[in-house]
Formats: sequence, structure tokens, C-alpha cells
Amino acid sequence: MEGRTGDDASLVDRLRRGDPRAFEDLVIAYQHRVFGVALRMLGNRAEAEELAQEVFLRVHRAIGEFRGEAKLSTWLYAIASRLCLNRLASGEWRMARHGDQALTRLASRESSPVEEVERSELETALHRAIAELGEERRIVVVLRDLEGLSYEEIATALELELGTVRSRLHRARMDLREKLERFLP
Amino acid sequence: MTCHDAREQFSAMIDDALDAAERAELDSHLATCAECRRELQRFRDTVALVRAAAPVRAPASFVDRVLEAARPVPWPQRLLRGLFLPWPVKLPMEAAAVVLVAVGVALVYRGSPELQQSARQEPAAPVVTQAPSVAPPEAQAPARENDAPRILYGARGEEKKAREQDTPREAEKAKAAPRAQERVEGFVKTPEPGALVDKKRAEAPTPSAPQRAPTARDADLQKGTESQDRQAPVVGKLEAPASRAERQRAAKDDVRSGATQQTELRADSLKAQRPASAPPSATSAFVPPDVSGQLAVSDRELALRSLAELVARLGAAQTRRFDTSDGPIIEIAVPREVYAELNRGLAQLGRWQPGKEPSTLPATVRVVVRITG
Repeated sequence: MEGRTGDDASLVDRLRRGDPRAFEDLVIAYQHRVFGVALRMLGNRAEAEELAQEVFLRVHRAIGEFRGEAKLSTWLYAIASRLCLNRLASGEWRMARHGDQALTRLASRESSPVEEVERSELETALHRAIAELGEERRIVVVLRDLEGLSYEEIATALELELGTVRSRLHRARMDLREKLERFLP
Repeated sequence: MTCHDAREQFSAMIDDALDAAERAELDSHLATCAECRRELQRFRDTVALVRAAAPVRAPASFVDRVLEAARPVPWPQRLLRGLFLPWPVKLPMEAAAVVLVAVGVALVYRGSPELQQSARQEPAAPVVTQAPSVAPPEAQAPARENDAPRILYGARGEEKKAREQDTPREAEKAKAAPRAQERVEGFVKTPEPGALVDKKRAEAPTPSAPQRAPTARDADLQKGTESQDRQAPVVGKLEAPASRAERQRAAKDDVRSGATQQTELRADSLKAQRPASAPPSATSAFVPPDVSGQLAVSDRELALRSLAELVARLGAAQTRRFDTSDGPIIEIAVPREVYAELNRGLAQLGRWQPGKEPSTLPATVRVVVRITG
């Protein structure tokens, strides 16, 4: 896990003071996590990159509004999640995606057709299963099982009750269990 | 606890999110239910599978792109981005808007004969230059003061108003003659650049002073002037450097604000139709001739004399003359009826190569002849 809490506090201080290197350090520390959330939610590398960039630009503009009540990482995940859900809910996005095809396309680091063929069947099935989850369940699984956030952090980031997080996560895992049945030992 | 209730707790159990009582109840059910134990194991395997997914990494250049995007952008660039980006969306819309405005303006223009009339007012200059210089010097003085800069920057609006009044204003032509003469002098005696600029500023239209509406023909003529700027050094002489720079800037602005200008066109035309509401039009750009051409001759002096005779014979008028290192440039105002005859006469004087003629000639055609050879 990149970026520890102590480092985050110092990073936030430097960002607030306008240290020109601080923003670069922030992007370096969190780029993969923010990009990962965006990619798994949107299923498209170009879109994910654009959205991840927007997340960092918002942080850059609004660092003064960060009160430090939550962890810096939680704040970043909150911004990223909200942008992803908004994007997925927008009419423009729904028009642009071709049915469920875009979502079932693998949201992973490789993108060329050749690499997709070479990727293991399990991983393909796993990403497809995640991509096929409903958006509200998918974001919970991504934050919990792929990004390692606690229930409380997820509740803070998504502005949900703890019980809602628990329930959505359970439903999402049940869905995944069915989809991945044949890969279970 | 039923099997269904127990399985509802699996997810929280895996994450250690159950409180002690919940956990104890679930454990006691699992101790007696082999099916739920198997199901729990499958549930654990599923979560382990998901957590084992390969991590995602941002593209290599991602950090640089974010830092670049976070850099402050100068406001002109921000404005341009706001206006034109994203290209695929905004450009077609903007192009469509421009076309729509242009079509609208054209329809309004075609549908309003009075607008066309106001844009096609005829010049009075040719006649006045031939009139004897009988006006008293005190009458000339104010005219000179006002006219010199107008000619330099093109007082087309005023000239057109004068041209429009062919017959009823015969009596006034004699009065105007000295002014026209002074205009010619004005070309030769180019005032100092600063004075010209100041003059132009002084004459710059105020919100209440209507400007002559530009027409499509004017736009063509303006292009002609620009090309003339390049071809004929004399035209360049007519403008002070500062004023030319100003005009170039203005031209650029015009290009940028094409749509706005077209929208304003009709309003300006309408204003131009209200002579009583405001003083004569303020100056605009240099007025290009209707036709310009080159006359290659073997003897310039002879050609000049012959040309003067031809002009007199046709009832035309030589309105301006400039002497350049390449040869003299003569501006002639000729009635439309004898324009063809002027062309024939010019062809007899030497090798006459007229430029493109406008599709419709005004009642008095302004012809610029550059004599070379």
C-alpha cells in the first residue's frame, strides 16, 4: 500500500502551503489506486484515465476544503467513486456504451486483443463478473476487495450507512459466487 | 437460525464485521449444518479469488499528464478551449451557427430593397473633380480638414451618399469640386502618422453615430484592397504605419468575430438609412475601386495625355493621381454607360489588362489605371 497516514498528513500540509512538489507526490502516491477504481468501474482505459485525471485536478483545486476528518485516501476514493457513479449515471455515458458490451469488456491493465486472448480464462471471467455487477454493488466490491477499504471508510466515501455497505457487499459477493462457480475448487 | 439467515451473515463474517452475539449464533448454526459450512467455504473462495485479481496500474505518462493539466492556463487559452473544445462537438455547431446567421442576413438583405439601395449609393466624386475651382478658400478649408483623413481611411459611406444624389444635386457638385480636389491633394500630402491616427480616433464612430453597413461587395472590394496593398506601394503610402497596423488588427478582429459582425450588419444598415438621426458616416477602411488594371505603354507621357483626352471625351473624370516609382496611377470615375468605351480606349493606348469586374457596375464606375512601361 503506497502512502501511509503519517505521510498523508505531511502531504496535506504541504499541499495546503502550496508546495509545488506536493501535488506531484500526491499523484505519484495515489495514481494507481485512483486509476484502478476508475478502470474497474468504467471498463475503458481512456475513460478511466480521463476520470482519474479529473479526480486529481479536483483535489488540486479543493485541497483547502479538505478538513482532515477522514484519511486523505478516503477523500480521494470518495471523489473518484462519486465521479464514476455520476459518469455511469449520465445519459451521455449510457448512450456511448454499446449495451453491456463496454462494461463486460475487461477492466484490466491489458487492452490489446492479443493480450486479451492470452490472459487467463479465470482472470477474464473474474473481470467480467465484476463488470457485470450493478454499479452500486460494484463500487462496494471494488473498494472493499480490490482496494482494501474498511466498511467504515467505504461508508464515509460513499456517504452510506454501515448496514447498507454490508448488505450491498454481501449481495455483490453472492452474485460473484454464482458467476465464478466453475472456478471454485 | 435458518440456513438462509446464516448465509446472509457470511460476508460480514469473512470481514470480521459481526458482533459477538451474531458470531456466536452463526457459529452454532455452522456447527450443526454441513451444507452451510460448504457454502461458507465456497463463499470464502470466491472472495479470495476476487482479492487475488491482478492489480491495475496507471499508464506510464499519467503523472506528467495530470501535472500538465493542473498547470494554470492563460485566460485567452481558457477562453479558446471553452469556445471550441471539444472540437467534434463545438466546431460543427459553430459552423452551423455561422451558416445560419449568414443565410439569415442574406435573406433579410434580399428581402429589403431599401437595404440594397442604401448599399448601392453612387459616387459623386467623378463629376466634382471636373468642376472649376471656384469656391472661395474659406469654403475649402473645413472641407480639407475633414476630408483628408477620410480619404486616407476611406470615407466610403460619405462618398456613397454623395453619389446617390446624381441629378438633384447637380447644383451642389460645383461646391463639392474643390473638396474633391483637396482629396487628391490629401493623398499626396500625407499628414504625419500621429496626426492621422488621432484624426481617425477622433472620427471613430460613437454608439450613437451609425456606421455604413458592410456588404458582400464591400468584402470583395476589401480583399481587392488588400491585394493592392501588396501590389501597389502607393496604396501603402496612403496610410501611416500605425494606422495600417491598427487596420490589420481590426481585420483580424473582424475575422474572429465574423458571426457577430454579420449580426450587426443589418442593424448598421438600418441605421444608415436614417440620415436625420445622426451625422454623416464616420471613416472606415480605404475604399477600393470598382475595377483596377494595368496599362503597359511605350511612352508614359503620351499615354497620360491620351488618357486625359479619352477621359474628357467620355465625360468621365480623373479623380486621383499618384506618382510612384513604378509609374503613375490614375483613378477615373466613369459613367457606367461609357465604361465599355473607356475600356476600348485604354486598349488602344497600350496593353490594357483590367482586373476582375464586379457583377453589377455602379452608375459611376471607379477605375484605377496603373500606367507602366
